[in-house]
Amino acid sequence: MKFPIVASIGVVTAALAAAGLAGDGELPRGLAQVIVDADRADDASTAVQLSQAHGPAAPESTQDPPPPRVDESALRYFASKGDTARLEAEIARLRALYPNWTPPQDPLAVPQNSDAQLETMWRLYSEGRYAEVRRAIAERQSTDPDWQVPTDLLERLNVAEARARLVNASDLKQYETVIQVGAGTPSLLTCSDNDVLWRVAEAFAETKRPNRARDAYLYILKNCDNDPERLATVQKAASNLSYSSMQDLLSYERTNSAGALEFESIRDDLARRFVAAGDEDATLEVDPKYLQRVERLAETEGSAADALLLGWYQLRRKNTSEAERWFRLARDKQDSAPASQGLALVLIERKAPEEAEKVLYPWRDASSDARATYFAATANLLAIDPPVALSADVLQRIAQETMKSRDAATAQQFGWYARLLGQPATAVQWFSTTLGWKPDDEPSAYGLAISHKELGDRAGVAEIQRLWAAKSDRIARLGDEVDGQAKANTAPPGSATIAAGSAPIRTAAAPAKGAPLGSAARGSQTTPRKLSGCRSTIDPRGLPPGAALARGWCLMDLNRPLEAAEAFEVALRASASKLREDAAYGQSLAYLRAGLTGKAAVAAARSPQSLARRNELQTAILADRAVAAFDAGRYNETLLFLEQRRQLATERTDLMVLRGYAYLKLKRYAQAKRIFEAAAATGNRDAIRGLSDVLAEQQVWPRKF
Amino acid sequence: MKPLVVLMLLLLAYPTHAQEPATVEATAWQKYKTRFLDPGGRIIDDANGDISHSEGQGYGLLLAFLAGSRADFELIWSFTRRELLLRDDGLAAWKWSPGEAPHVSDTNNATDGDILIAYALARAGVSWDRKDYTRAATALAEAILEKTVVEHGGLTLLLPGAQGFSAADRADGPVINPSYWVFEAFPVLEQLVPSPAWKALAADGEAILKRLEFGPKKLPADWISARTVFKPAEGFPSEFGYNALRIPLYLVRSGRTDSELLSRIYRGMSDAKGAVLLSDVESGAVEETLTDPGYRLINHILACVLQGTKLPDDMKTFDPTQYYPSTMHLLGLSFVEEMRPECL
Repeated sequence: MKFPIVASIGVVTAALAAAGLAGDGELPRGLAQVIVDADRADDASTAVQLSQAHGPAAPESTQDPPPPRVDESALRYFASKGDTARLEAEIARLRALYPNWTPPQDPLAVPQNSDAQLETMWRLYSEGRYAEVRRAIAERQSTDPDWQVPTDLLERLNVAEARARLVNASDLKQYETVIQVGAGTPSLLTCSDNDVLWRVAEAFAETKRPNRARDAYLYILKNCDNDPERLATVQKAASNLSYSSMQDLLSYERTNSAGALEFESIRDDLARRFVAAGDEDATLEVDPKYLQRVERLAETEGSAADALLLGWYQLRRKNTSEAERWFRLARDKQDSAPASQGLALVLIERKAPEEAEKVLYPWRDASSDARATYFAATANLLAIDPPVALSADVLQRIAQETMKSRDAATAQQFGWYARLLGQPATAVQWFSTTLGWKPDDEPSAYGLAISHKELGDRAGVAEIQRLWAAKSDRIARLGDEVDGQAKANTAPPGSATIAAGSAPIRTAAAPAKGAPLGSAARGSQTTPRKLSGCRSTIDPRGLPPGAALARGWCLMDLNRPLEAAEAFEVALRASASKLREDAAYGQSLAYLRAGLTGKAAVAAARSPQSLARRNELQTAILADRAVAAFDAGRYNETLLFLEQRRQLATERTDLMVLRGYAYLKLKRYAQAKRIFEAAAATGNRDAIRGLSDVLAEQQVWPRKF
Repeated sequence: MKPLVVLMLLLLAYPTHAQEPATVEATAWQKYKTRFLDPGGRIIDDANGDISHSEGQGYGLLLAFLAGSRADFELIWSFTRRELLLRDDGLAAWKWSPGEAPHVSDTNNATDGDILIAYALARAGVSWDRKDYTRAATALAEAILEKTVVEHGGLTLLLPGAQGFSAADRADGPVINPSYWVFEAFPVLEQLVPSPAWKALAADGEAILKRLEFGPKKLPADWISARTVFKPAEGFPSEFGYNALRIPLYLVRSGRTDSELLSRIYRGMSDAKGAVLLSDVESGAVEETLTDPGYRLINHILACVLQGTKLPDDMKTFDPTQYYPSTMHLLGLSFVEEMRPECL
């Protein structure tokens, strides 16, 4: 709960607490009214009359008022200074306040204030020196106890101070204070001071009360007539309101005397903004009229920016051919990293990584995003099954970039690519390189082991097994079975060499056909592949348990985890306990890969597992649960899962980062900082960003002396 | 019961609008404000680039109240509320710079500033029957209690700021600054916002001071880690410095006369002529010798309270030097005037 200090205006803190300011309900009436209502929901007895759209607060009683004693001192002050603008405003104000009052015929001839001290107070007021007015009033009161402060002066001073305080709070992003001052000073909230209304609207938007923000902007459009300010209102609202709220606002657009719509001049910008909103939110359905408007701009104007907006909009919605059209147009107008990156993503999406690589190659260093997309293209390109014949130039430059950026994913794919081309020695180089960059990369270790095996390097295989047997079942079991795969994979020798590092590259010849290996090699651990035809769709229930188990692993290799889980289910009926154990293990891996953590846990429990396997499954399940808990905003739970996981295995850097953010969300800054520092020491970018996020959250207040 | 506290409790119990006699002389206040009070209502810290801060506004309000100047109080309060009392949590932003836009260049709070402002408002509200002051003091006291008073290790502590000092915020947190305990304020704020935390804060603050005996001089440091064993906080100079020198003044102003504690601090911070010594709390090495009369007065007050030594004549008149020592000077003279006239 917050405690506003509004000394002269009786805002009761209890009423504020009960007001439900935190809510974001509908605001049906005038802005002043709704904000104040929110503040005194339980206090009907203080029937303060609220300001209408154009006037200040009216006096409290409305029953047959006696002829008012109108305080004309401000009038006289402004008249004496010849300040006609303020004079007219004051006459209008007094008229609104006292309908029976007749203004003087010649206001400029109004006699001056005979009271010099009061004259000084008005002068200080008109110069914005409010604290000095307060001082002068107090001074006068202590020397002249009978003197009464003119209520007009006091009221104006209260409002002026509140306005200054509201603006200060708004400049400092103290939005609760902005709302509370606004609520405590309804006479501030009028069409004559739209800046205040904008600030209140912004405060609502910034404090996650979008409906109130929308109503504040709507209030202006419904009630205020100043054309430039109406236009500015829509522009400001566009930065703070959602697409749909903006449509509400635009329904109050007026037609001017010449028959033109008043917001026409900013309609292009609004359309761009709306399409951009659609870029960020794939579920947003932007009215076709805005899309068409931006399309016309993209086609007729010189800038590539509009075409880019449309490209991202369509890519977000998986309209790849439309997206491709716009990204290509953007590149035609002006090639740029974002345009090429967008096009590359389209190309990857429609399985054309070769062109994606080509398009993005010149922009690969433009940003970390562009670089990541480039390597997505290269990894995808190399993983195509059957392998694509690539020219020596292309292979060379991909290899160079991979080495330069130490991209483990592409390096690993180079390994599989080399194997597919029947070059196990080259594959050994690439897998070793990958492991040098990413020591825990099991698929590369596995690739390395089978390549050693193929080359007849028993010592090499044994070394990998020594290092990995505890962590990878398929590597441990490598020697156990007949491995038809290596032979099946052997392509005509000498067709191409793609080497890591400085090794030469020979021209790619015809790729190996018929070797059913490819991207499936990637992913998590599997037992050795038995590639005898799991590509066809059959009902596994007809298979004997042993064959079903083999089919399960095969489907895992093809990254079809849900079908694999079904096959493992059949294998679980086996009578041999070893088979059942393998099937349960396989099934929980399959569910894990499918993102079904709960099912994975159940599957793991269906047959007793070796300690190593139990730990492996358990750590994977706990990591998934930690991530899910974090995504759901349950940060304490996240820490709990990570703690349990840490009992079983060393924490991976990405999970350290997750732990750091969980601490940060819980405002445990010191712990967040420590863990980010530890993770950042490995060069992890997310951890470095986390560290700066902690520092930003935790600005340490400086010493004063 | 301590005299000043008794007096204030009486005042609070019988709000008869009785004007308290001014304990800051009119001429002294006139000199002070001519030098340090900007016409717009801010107290200028002339040793720190002419900035203003919540502490200065709090001292300004308190001195204006002690001088009986309602007009100046109103002026300073108007500025303070409009320019600093802006934070969403009801505390004051601590720093205001004339040359920056927006003027508040750091929205963090400084808890001693908040306490001084609330305390001055509370006293003025009762004494001058100003309900608006009392309301503002109440709201601020509630925010202080909610955002800066914490329990740690069985003690009630005052965080120097709402952010950046707690056990969660720092590896050696909570970090405290014992000179932020404005002891005389706590019973007054308790009247407005009743809570056992105020008495606990005062009692634990005093108890902590008795335990802070660092180095050969057995002095407290400005900034202390209260995480486990009390020790100078990381990242701050480990010194008895400009912050800590006001601790004994706050103690005597609140009527605390524990002679063992006061004597220990007096021995550690005074040289033979009464100058204030700032020192490294590890080695005891003197880092600065402060001869400004405003600083020296603190030592002379201790000499009077502990040994009955009268103040030297040059202490009794006030001439402004710099904002901070001059403020100490007027607070010291006000204390002597009100509670120890025999020292004059």
